[in-house]
Amino acid sequence: MLWLFSGDAPIYSQLIEQIKVGIVSGVFPPGERLPSVRDLATEAGVNPNTMQRALTELERDGLVYSQRTAGRFVTEDKAMIETAKRALAERHITAFLDAMTRLGYQREEVINMLRQEITGGGNGDVSLAV
Amino acid sequence: MLRKLLKHEFRATGRIMLPVIGILLATSVPANLSLRYLLDSRTWFLSMLGILMLTAFGFAIFGVCIVSFVLMIQRFYKNLLQDEGYVMLTLPVSIHQHVWSKLIVSSVWFIVTTLAVILASCIVAFDIDFIRYFFTGLGELFQELRKVQAYYAINGTAIIIELIVLVFLGLVSMCLQFYAALAAGHSLPSHKMAWSVVWYFGLQFAFQIIAFSGINILDQVNFFYWGIFHPDIHLSAMAGIHIGMFLLIFANVVYGAVFYGITTFFLKKRLNLE
Amino acid sequence: MSVLQCNNLTKRYGKAPALEQVSITIEPGRIVGLLGPNGSGKTTLIKLANGLLTPSEGEILICGAAPGRATHALVSYLPERTCIPTWMSARQLLDFYGDFYPDFRRDAAEEMLQHLDISPTQRVKQMSKGTREKVQLIMVMSRQAKLYLLDEPIGGVDPATRDYILSTIISNYNPEAAVVISTHLISDVEKVLDEVIFINRGQVMLQSSVDEIREEKGMSVDALFREVFKC
Repeated sequence: MLWLFSGDAPIYSQLIEQIKVGIVSGVFPPGERLPSVRDLATEAGVNPNTMQRALTELERDGLVYSQRTAGRFVTEDKAMIETAKRALAERHITAFLDAMTRLGYQREEVINMLRQEITGGGNGDVSLAV
Repeated sequence: MLRKLLKHEFRATGRIMLPVIGILLATSVPANLSLRYLLDSRTWFLSMLGILMLTAFGFAIFGVCIVSFVLMIQRFYKNLLQDEGYVMLTLPVSIHQHVWSKLIVSSVWFIVTTLAVILASCIVAFDIDFIRYFFTGLGELFQELRKVQAYYAINGTAIIIELIVLVFLGLVSMCLQFYAALAAGHSLPSHKMAWSVVWYFGLQFAFQIIAFSGINILDQVNFFYWGIFHPDIHLSAMAGIHIGMFLLIFANVVYGAVFYGITTFFLKKRLNLE
Repeated sequence: MSVLQCNNLTKRYGKAPALEQVSITIEPGRIVGLLGPNGSGKTTLIKLANGLLTPSEGEILICGAAPGRATHALVSYLPERTCIPTWMSARQLLDFYGDFYPDFRRDAAEEMLQHLDISPTQRVKQMSKGTREKVQLIMVMSRQAKLYLLDEPIGGVDPATRDYILSTIISNYNPEAAVVISTHLISDVEKVLDEVIFINRGQVMLQSSVDEIREEKGMSVDALFREVFKC
């Protein structure tokens, strides 16, 4: 898994986001045991306390649960993962729409462009024509 | 911990001292052959070779003494006051243990060097007759002395032992004088080496003045007169020699103790590694 | 009990103050960045904690005790440059550290040396500068100390080595121990740190957690550092 961090947001919230992506995309499948805090921290190159904080937060949300001795596991509740996936997608869409609005596009134009992009197979010439 | 310090100190110094001593012993054998055969040879080449071998032996003796002396200073300087000092002085070991380990190892190498030089000289002089004469002569000397008077045999031996102790303590306090000068000089922010040299000669000068005034004071109070020549006390010459030896030994112990105090004070309280 | 505590710590070289009235506390389980420009007093503070310098005023305590023989056993110190004796081989170094530090984990050190393809018979003298730094770091991180004082561990090494050093620090994390990393290369270490201490001209300007800075100021520690120390 590739860990990427941006400059300004708190590191623990970026970690939460990235672990969620990992769960949703199946890098950490439902019901699977998560690597230890130390291993995750080493892999991501972050402070173990920060990683711990992110996992505690995920635990509170229910995406992750811990068993006293065995460690931390990804939830088996597929519906919950689906909801998380949906929430992540919505965040991306909102961000995308905000960016397009800033560029001066109306909603209709955006939808048309998206449709063309998808049906046209992402051909560069088509997007240039628009 | 002192034991461990000693172990690593011997490791660090042995890798230099042992080969040097090995070279000394190795050159003594051809030097012996030169003395016995080559020098008398009629062939120009062989007698020349003999001279070369003897010269090599001379250099080896000189070298071994220089190396053990330089190593004494260099180990203290490089290991405690240079970069390695960061590692050494953060070990869970006291300053006293550091100084003792350096001192003990240097003294041992001084003794080993002396023994090696004696051994090498014996090898060079090894001419069965010579060795035999030497030891039988020594034995006879003592026999004769005992016959005359056990007094001389015992006192002679005692003086030799006192002399050995004196020389040994002299070497130890010389080591400590170098340590004290280096430790004091390196406590200053700059020109550390120059200051160390100044400290060395400063200490030398101070102790000469003290020794000189000490003798002067003893003379002023007529110590020598009272001690040696006064009819009521009237020490024998032999007792005078022993007293003199003990005074010198005592003075050396005092020198050494003062230098030791200076060394540990500066390493403990005024350390300034850069 | 805090692992490192300074109370009004002052150190002067002659008349020039290198540290002035520094009061900080570092708790166990923390990885703390000691950040400041060159000559700000970082190294002086670390040397004081190691007893390589003596304070002019105030005090510095390691697990409640002044620096000395007892605290040396608790502190694992990486000096700003490589100081391991160059005549030793890697194996002799292992002997050396194992002899003096009961908390030295020789097997861990051997594993790390092997991982970096450093032969135990190779002498430090024959190693490249980068390898020497790695070997010294391995010795320092293989101890189970209460306080790790790492003075510029990532200055002057290539990016791959930098990553190796940082991941070594993370994977050796111990909740009982604190790690202090002094550096001016903030963006590289920022993710690894819990807390940062900004120090300038011998004075502490700020002690705060990394995520607090990011949350409150909306900028990275690196950006904040550049703002605070703008020339």
